[in-house]
Amino acid sequence: MANFHRLPVARGRPVRFTFEGAPVDSFAGETLATALLAAQVGAFGHTREGNPRLPFCNMGTCFDCAVQVDGRGLVRACLTDVVEGMVVNMQEIK
Amino acid sequence: MHDVAIVGAGPAGMAGALQLARAGLSVVVIDEQARAGGQIFRRPPEEFGVRHGQYRPYGWARDLIEDFEEHPLIETRFRQTVFGILRDPEGQISLAVSDGQRGTRIKARRVLLATGAYDMPVAFPGWTLPGVMTAGAVQSLLKSQKLLAGRQIVVAGSHPIQLILAAQLLEAGADLAAIALARDLPGFLEMARTLPAIPGNVSIFTEALRAMAVIARHRVPLLRRTLISAVEQTGEGPLRISLRKVDAQWRPVGTAREFEADVLALGYGFTPSTELARQAGCALSWHSAGGGWTVQHDDNFRTGVQEIFVAGEQTGVAGAGRAHAEGLVAGQAIAHSLGVGADPLEVNRAQALLKSSERFAGVMQTMFEPNRTALADLSHHSATVICRCEEITSGQLEDALTCNPFLTSASAAKLECRTGMGVCQGRYCEGTVAARIAMHHNTQIAQAGHFNAHLPVKPVPLGAYGDLDH
Ligand SMILES: Cc1cc2nc3c(=O)[nH]c(=O)nc-3n(C[C@H](O)[C@H](O)[C@H](O)COP(=O)(O)OP(=O)(O)OC[C@H]3O[C@@H](n4cnc5c(N)ncnc54)[C@H](O)[C@@H]3O)c2cc1C
Repeated sequence: MANFHRLPVARGRPVRFTFEGAPVDSFAGETLATALLAAQVGAFGHTREGNPRLPFCNMGTCFDCAVQVDGRGLVRACLTDVVEGMVVNMQEIK
Repeated sequence: MHDVAIVGAGPAGMAGALQLARAGLSVVVIDEQARAGGQIFRRPPEEFGVRHGQYRPYGWARDLIEDFEEHPLIETRFRQTVFGILRDPEGQISLAVSDGQRGTRIKARRVLLATGAYDMPVAFPGWTLPGVMTAGAVQSLLKSQKLLAGRQIVVAGSHPIQLILAAQLLEAGADLAAIALARDLPGFLEMARTLPAIPGNVSIFTEALRAMAVIARHRVPLLRRTLISAVEQTGEGPLRISLRKVDAQWRPVGTAREFEADVLALGYGFTPSTELARQAGCALSWHSAGGGWTVQHDDNFRTGVQEIFVAGEQTGVAGAGRAHAEGLVAGQAIAHSLGVGADPLEVNRAQALLKSSERFAGVMQTMFEPNRTALADLSHHSATVICRCEEITSGQLEDALTCNPFLTSASAAKLECRTGMGVCQGRYCEGTVAARIAMHHNTQIAQAGHFNAHLPVKPVPLGAYGDLDH
């Protein structure tokens, strides 16, 4: 079980969005990858064979962190900042 | 139309942009990341209220970033992906760029590719499990997002950057269960011995030595000649990480030891990001110590495609100092090719930096070249996933190789069993596939060649294509 946590430093103002319908609290300046990892999300999506995926490279090359944002698919969570009210869902079948 | 379009705002891209802007040329720099700096100088977002990150030991980084951000002739486009290089019927070259929704075409007289490198992928049983991450991922989450990946972490690899990462994690409060280095420490002692020979370029070595002191103080087991062999997980339990003792050729000796952790950070080296160069038709050459496939260029960093230049890790992974120096020289060469001469003092300075960084890079590369065959051997178990995206297993690849005796290239393997067809466009399986082909046929890895890259080099929304026609 992953165990990601924020270091105690100054962050941006609070930003709330939803992941799979549930609210997630985060801070401006954070990427979706950070916010979801800090929320201890167990999978950003699944492969064709149903295996869970979490971020692997955090630099935009592997696409394991891809999610759906406001209906757009294959959005890399590591390159996308959190935005108030954003609707984020798992990327099924990467 | 811009004089020059640069892809990548790391040390190479920033240095190149500044040379060009100072020569009075108009420059546009595109980078997918949110801010300038590249992989090594990833820094917290503006919203966290700080302008700079920790650039130690690179004293020049701060000025480079500030000069770059403040120069009026440099236009920047962050959070945008260059997904291809196009040539229109009149011969004009342009970049296809996506912001995630729309596409644009950026025309320029010259293009500088400064796209850097990514952590070298290594396939072994369990490498696709959540919590198994690249060292770069763990490091960048810490450096720029101030997110600590796990309480209990295992760091495994062979590159000196692993030691630096381990120290950074310890200082941030992580508990390291073990640090496993595939090579022996003499590699690192040798490194210390070479320091005096290469003045001015000792940064990464001195940092690694400083890191060793931090590691010793925290009494973390530093396992030498120890290689990752497998990771397992039951339900939501911790990762069970098997580390195995190896000999000098990285061949397993003895049984595996198991460690538990939330996260495994892997760092066996770096692979140059050459996809745009490939797609544009630039020739590559194999340079294992330099990271694998590197982009061919002349002394002016010009590729075989005459408008396209390269600088930084794509010419061979050699660290930030070298990337910076190459950016300076490439920038001057591009200006020259557009008929603008550079200040002779600047030219001398750049050449001197290039020369000294070359010696350092040579030492660094030969000392820390990954043992590709030993690493590919970790993927042999038939159920091990080779292609993370399409979930092609070792068994499927081996079957394809056995059934098709003429399957001797990575590209043929891609067509035959779909490895490399997924969203990462083969970046994470190419090296393993090529090494496995070479092992199967008892040939050299380079003979298996590389995948070709096509438009788009990274997946973009269909709409981004449509926009290019306008
Ligand atoms: C995680 C990590 C840690 C490292 N740590 C060290 C270290 O401690 N010391 C050291 O000497 N070296 C280190 N390196 C090596 C490092 O890559 C170089 O030293 C240096 O960053 C290389 O500079 P560069 O300008 O060539 O590329 P980079 O700094 O990698 O910059 C390339 C930039 O191009 C952008 N880019 C790539 N493709 C596209 C595209 N298609 N569209 C838009 N943008 C794109 C990327 O987002 C990136 O910002 C590290 C590398 C990595 C990956």
